[in-house]
Amino acid sequence: MNIEQKRKLESAVALSLSGLAAAIGLFWLVYILADVLIHGLGALHISLFFNDPAPAGEEGGGLRNAFVGQLMITLCATLIGVPIGVLGGTFLAEYARGKKIARVISILSDIMVSVPSIVVGSFVYAIMVRPLHHFSGWAGAVALSIIMIPVVLRTTEDMLSLVPWTLREAAFALGAPRYKVIIQVVYRGAATGILTGILLSIARVAGETAPLLFTSFNNNFFSGNMNGPLASLTVTIFQYAMGPYKSWHAQAWGAALVITLFILMLTIAGRLILKWRYKR
Amino acid sequence: MTMMTEIEVKGLNFYYNGDIHALQNISLPVNKNRVTALIGPSGCGKTTLLRCFNRMHDLYPRHRYEGEIRFQGENILANDVDHITLRSRIGMVFQKPTPFPMSIAENIAYGLRLKGIKNKSELIGRIEEALKHAALWTEVRDKMNASAYELSGGQQQRLVIARALAVEPEVLLFDEPTSALDPIATAKIEELVVSLKKDITIIIVTHNMQQAARVSDMTGFLYMGELIEYGSTEKIFTNPDNKQTDDYITGRFG
Repeated sequence: MNIEQKRKLESAVALSLSGLAAAIGLFWLVYILADVLIHGLGALHISLFFNDPAPAGEEGGGLRNAFVGQLMITLCATLIGVPIGVLGGTFLAEYARGKKIARVISILSDIMVSVPSIVVGSFVYAIMVRPLHHFSGWAGAVALSIIMIPVVLRTTEDMLSLVPWTLREAAFALGAPRYKVIIQVVYRGAATGILTGILLSIARVAGETAPLLFTSFNNNFFSGNMNGPLASLTVTIFQYAMGPYKSWHAQAWGAALVITLFILMLTIAGRLILKWRYKR
Repeated sequence: MTMMTEIEVKGLNFYYNGDIHALQNISLPVNKNRVTALIGPSGCGKTTLLRCFNRMHDLYPRHRYEGEIRFQGENILANDVDHITLRSRIGMVFQKPTPFPMSIAENIAYGLRLKGIKNKSELIGRIEEALKHAALWTEVRDKMNASAYELSGGQQQRLVIARALAVEPEVLLFDEPTSALDPIATAKIEELVVSLKKDITIIIVTHNMQQAARVSDMTGFLYMGELIEYGSTEKIFTNPDNKQTDDYITGRFG
């Protein structure tokens, strides 16, 4: 075998192996999505969204409590996490650029991104649930926001760093104070990137179960009270999937489908925004 | 018309990154309503000198000025000088066009709003005036709300000049304003620079010696952080006193 044939053979082997690996990865992804779709579609009924759970063992009912609870917790987490993340990222990119503290915070948030979410859940349990002696929607929101902050912070920092430095100098040269340079020029330049980061971070926390188990817990009844235990889709899926009733299983599938679609839509929206931004 | 000195540089030394001595004992006058060109090879300190006039170096840590730059008699290197006011009086145009990520009209309005102008009809009037001043009005009048990024490089540079002019500075600093532009766009900018001197004082840093000869009244030649020679552009380009200046303008080095 001459060297040319050998190279061709090596290339063919490498190609087939990597192709196979991609196929295996894709297979499970498609399998999971298809499974959720097939089982979930059957459970998608208007009553799923507008009825509260029926008493255990009885047919019918829906998951209105979980949908509302999930929305409230996610919204509050976003309201807490996004401002802190964006301002923190702004500090790193604009005020502390090149300084040691910026590097330290950056590295710490990279670590935070990969902290197991159950650790965050038990942390918030210790600082909020235990001292207050009750589970609450707020605790859930705080847990989710702790997961969001490093994601938003790092994306903001990266996106701000992409704005050319000359643009800032040009604004300074007109006699703009620093905060106006940042808010009116730099944020505009980085807006779509930051928005994408925010959407992706919401998508990241919307599917979290572990941090909510110890914080917002669950609630079989409809509640709009952030100060008490709140139902969420993910915890409900967990509970219903483990439950003994067929109707629970069906509803868990339906909830899984809805939350999957929600996250998928956020992710696609994020990608589309980025694509649209960089096409120009 | 008698020459009036707008800016007087006296014994200026500048250090950055702690102890890198970038400018050494520079002294020169900048005449009012004249174009002063700063020329010299890359790394000679001409841009560094230009950025002293609007305290641009102050955006970065570990720099130090010694000596004085007197602008209308007042030392602008003093510690208590307000950079924001200074920069609204001494504007700057950069090497690459720096339009902001907003519409053409908003770009100009930005500087005006910084000055506290909020009245809509006044803004519109001043925007038009600035664009006319920068010889861009006829090209953009129908697309004022279009993104500034849709303009060509030369148009962007004139937009940036219009934006700087809108703030009504007394001095405008140009840092190699045409090095990223084609010859036709360059000619328009040069024409504009010459036409602006009836209203303001101009200091221009350029790599291009023909450009310095075409647009400037006075020229300073810098080399290795020192001002080698300063005089009327005609004299510098035809009969310089210094051998190094002669070598540079005749293309023997740099």
